[in-house]
Amino acid sequence: MKIFSESHKTVFVVDHCPYMAESCRQHVEFDMLVKNRTQGIIPLAPISKSLWTCSVESSMEYCRIMYDIFPFKKLVNFIVSDSGAHVLNSWTQEDQNLQELMAALAAVGPPNPRADPECCSILHGLVAAVETLCKITEYQHEARTLLMENAERVGNRGRIICITNAKSDSHVRMLEDCVQETIHEHNKLAANSDHLMQIQKCELVLIHTYAVGEDSLVSDRPKKELSPVLTSEVHSVRAGRHLATKLNILVQQHFDLASTTITNIPMKEEQHANTSANYDVELLHHKDAHVDFLKSGDTHIGGSSREGSFKETITLKWCTPRTNNIGRSVLLEQPRKSGSKVISHMLSSHGGEIFLHVLSSSRSILEDPPSISEGCGGRVTDYRITDFGEFMRENRLTPFLDPRYKIDGSLEIPLERAKDQLEKHTRYWPMIISQTTIFNMQAVVPLASVIVKESLTEEDVLNCQKTIYNLVDMERKNDPLPISTVGTRGKGPKRDEQYRIMWNELETLVRAHINNSEKHQRVLECLMACRSKPPEEEERKKRGRKREDKEDKSEKAVKDYEQEKSWQDSERLKGILERGKEELAEAEIIKDSPDSPEPPNKKPLVEMDETPPIEKSKGPVSLLSLWSNRINTANSRKHQEFAGRLNSVNNRAELYQHLKEENGMETTENGKASRQ
Amino acid sequence: MDDYDKTCLESALVGVCNIVQQEWGGAIPCQVVLVTDGCLGIGRGSLRHSLATHSQRGESNRFPLPFPFPSKLYIMCMANLEELQSTDSLDCLERLIDLNNGEGQIFTIDGPLCLKNVQSMFGKLIDLAYTPFHAVLKCGHLTADVQVFPRPEPFVVDEEIDPIPKVINTDLEIVGFIDIADISSPPVLSRHLVLPIALNKEGDEVGTGITDDNEDENSANQIAGKIPNFCVLLHGSLKVEGMVAIVQLGPEWHGMLYSQADSKKKSNLMMSLFEPGPEPLPWLGKMAQLGPISDAKENPYGEDDNKSPFPLQPKNKRSYAQNVTVWIKPSGLQTDVQKILRNARKLPEKTQTFYKELNRLRKAALAFGFLDLLKGVADMLERECTLLPDTAHPDAAFQLTHAAQQLKLASTGTSEYAGYEHNITPLHTDFSGSSTERM
Repeated sequence: MKIFSESHKTVFVVDHCPYMAESCRQHVEFDMLVKNRTQGIIPLAPISKSLWTCSVESSMEYCRIMYDIFPFKKLVNFIVSDSGAHVLNSWTQEDQNLQELMAALAAVGPPNPRADPECCSILHGLVAAVETLCKITEYQHEARTLLMENAERVGNRGRIICITNAKSDSHVRMLEDCVQETIHEHNKLAANSDHLMQIQKCELVLIHTYAVGEDSLVSDRPKKELSPVLTSEVHSVRAGRHLATKLNILVQQHFDLASTTITNIPMKEEQHANTSANYDVELLHHKDAHVDFLKSGDTHIGGSSREGSFKETITLKWCTPRTNNIGRSVLLEQPRKSGSKVISHMLSSHGGEIFLHVLSSSRSILEDPPSISEGCGGRVTDYRITDFGEFMRENRLTPFLDPRYKIDGSLEIPLERAKDQLEKHTRYWPMIISQTTIFNMQAVVPLASVIVKESLTEEDVLNCQKTIYNLVDMERKNDPLPISTVGTRGKGPKRDEQYRIMWNELETLVRAHINNSEKHQRVLECLMACRSKPPEEEERKKRGRKREDKEDKSEKAVKDYEQEKSWQDSERLKGILERGKEELAEAEIIKDSPDSPEPPNKKPLVEMDETPPIEKSKGPVSLLSLWSNRINTANSRKHQEFAGRLNSVNNRAELYQHLKEENGMETTENGKASRQ
Repeated sequence: MDDYDKTCLESALVGVCNIVQQEWGGAIPCQVVLVTDGCLGIGRGSLRHSLATHSQRGESNRFPLPFPFPSKLYIMCMANLEELQSTDSLDCLERLIDLNNGEGQIFTIDGPLCLKNVQSMFGKLIDLAYTPFHAVLKCGHLTADVQVFPRPEPFVVDEEIDPIPKVINTDLEIVGFIDIADISSPPVLSRHLVLPIALNKEGDEVGTGITDDNEDENSANQIAGKIPNFCVLLHGSLKVEGMVAIVQLGPEWHGMLYSQADSKKKSNLMMSLFEPGPEPLPWLGKMAQLGPISDAKENPYGEDDNKSPFPLQPKNKRSYAQNVTVWIKPSGLQTDVQKILRNARKLPEKTQTFYKELNRLRKAALAFGFLDLLKGVADMLERECTLLPDTAHPDAAFQLTHAAQQLKLASTGTSEYAGYEHNITPLHTDFSGSSTERM
């Protein structure tokens, strides 16, 4: 069904003229005497509904079915007609529920039998119906706004269901002509309006209803095209249950519904717990759920002519689940002509809504697929399955119903936040156990679990620092590490080599997140200050031989986020710088203990790399340059570098560069800028 | 299918139609390849005859096209275009495609009829209809090259507003995870195998990792099997945790990845496509509104993983999830009246329930303009009052009289007493203090 088909807008026009107050002449016994009651009491006389009551009740049932199956985008406008038209609600979604309509109908009340019939007419309602069909719904508005230049693609069609008591066929014709004429006029008005839409198609369903036992003065007529815009059909129906049945059939036709009767539903109530008592329930649903039956022709249709007209329903049997592991779902069994049975549908409930699912009962096209263990990566046996399970649980989704806003005031989309989080959590995530050391160490968990966060608290930083000290301690004590020996011969790497691998990997992880916040950066600084570096000879030896596979991998990952640090050529310089760094880091740590106050006006620390490499490649370095280098480094970390010096060429910065680009700027502005 | 000695395309198509429906039902897309020499048969049963009588068919001898399942009809003509155009053959074959709602295509041979040209024609069919669907499965920085099988079909959301068929992205981006119990068994458009593949630098597939027995140790497939693959990791964890991964297929289009076990030993990574739209599963709410749990004030799954934010409750309850009054069948009305009567006989213990049911009936009667019912029930309550046994609590008589009086007032329809929102409240009597009832 198209979104903006005739079923998008339904207008009910119900006659509220004096004759509708007449009885439908169908009695309802309401005083049913209960067994074991005092004898000799005469039950109260049965009562009967008025034509009005029958009409309202049946149209409410139509709406109830429609709202239950289509809670959105299928809208009703209810109009009552007597000496004028009373429009009971609007197209807005808030107005679309039974409670609203019932309250509005109660306010109108039943027709007044003593009103002057000459003043009353259904025509007022029909005119109002056409008028209301021209009004745009919020869904049409939304679609038009979205489509922009293709806005004309949004259709405006609708249906008018008019329940009245007509005098004759010619009276019916007069009503049709009136609708036709009104559409013509209102389309002219709508053409010149921004908030009205021309009616492209209108389906008029005229229901003439009359008391049981009377002769109908109006004849039935199937759907007929009165004009390219208007089609009309006439139903002549006795009031009471006949009218209700008619509207039930119509709602199924109008909304492509079908009926399924579920049989053998066990009684749940306690008093029936041990009996085999069961009952049947008829459900209405979209007819697509029957598509397989209709195509195969193997239908099991139960006809019931009790209601006076033939009604099609497909019977399915309730299969009480043996185990409860499928939760709030029940399988339904379809009896076949051949006597065989097949599970064809499933009923399930989610948050108080019932859904009917069609199950595929035919052969699968994915027969005997290859197992995942036979494919790519299938031979690998040490995936971090448990860790990834933990990762998945941390990345579970939850609904955020209230809109949230970003700092810049724009709407934040929760799903985008979820993607961002996945991006952060996977920056360094080795897939197999033998590819990682740190994720196999319990001692790293406090750091690894928080470093992936978008922002860290002071406590997080402290925990990360503690983790690092703990690792330093382990190294000092020469504790063994869970280094994989897969693929290596002999006993694997020596202890100090193991620690080097571990520190490298930890650095990779932390480095992947340093751009998240300044606190992340502090964790890296702590790590760099604390991590052990191999002595000179070891380092040389190491560079002589091929680097370990693992290390290559982790270092490759670093490149993704940050440019690879160029190794300083002078090992001695490096060593001294490291020591300098360490001292600074310690100062930093004391300052950052949670008890001490935040230093005022803290500036972001500048990275080591930004200091100009002095006499980098000239072999041995003089003591002076070592010393000044160290002082420069230490000083540079305490303030942000002057922008001019950073961008300078040979220590010369060109002033007022922007003037070249932005000619005609006021001098005061320049003054301000240069002062920064 | 039996074979016959006469060209009768209609019978062949009917046969195909039956076989496909018996085996796969009416929902599975199927490609039908018709290989013909371009001759349409002679006399009755010829395609010309079939098409000529096409408009005179009834239910019993329905023409097999359009196929009653999603389909593509490919007609492979062992003849070149000129030959076919010399007769009306091509027109007739084109009619077939038209009858299948335009779903399909005709292939002819370029140049003279020879093995090479026939091979090239079938090569074109393979390129068009049987190219595997390659995609990249992504979860943040974790990625894997995959083949999705069968090829996901394009989907038209609304022909009027959105007439362009939507195709799924070749980047399948995981956005988060949900417990199987929460997603339950959602309705899906189609299901697909997600097979990890190994690609070479040029992006050509070099293997699926699946090894044939006759392959040697160092074949590409053997190597691919030993390289860690994200699909295998994901599959393993989804299986162990009982979860699904929600995957974005395109703008406002999502699906889910899960582990499906074929047998005890075999299991696979599967992907199901939801219907495109902002809210394919009402009990999850709008997809765009799903966010990471870390953004929530407290973990919606609970510290011990004993809660769940799903299912979401619909804004308006369905009529069957609330006490909606329907009196279309007399039994509905009778049940409601009986309920009032039953509680009336248990006054004052059931005072609250009595008034609750009474008010429900009152509201419905006022909305339906069924004022006679209010009068009738008032009469009935007055009669009940006269029938009270001597042992009855004195409050019962007071409440019944009060209720009857209130209903009578409402039945006048005057706005003062017949307000829809107005509720009849229990009469405060000297006895009623002792008869508080817990609801």
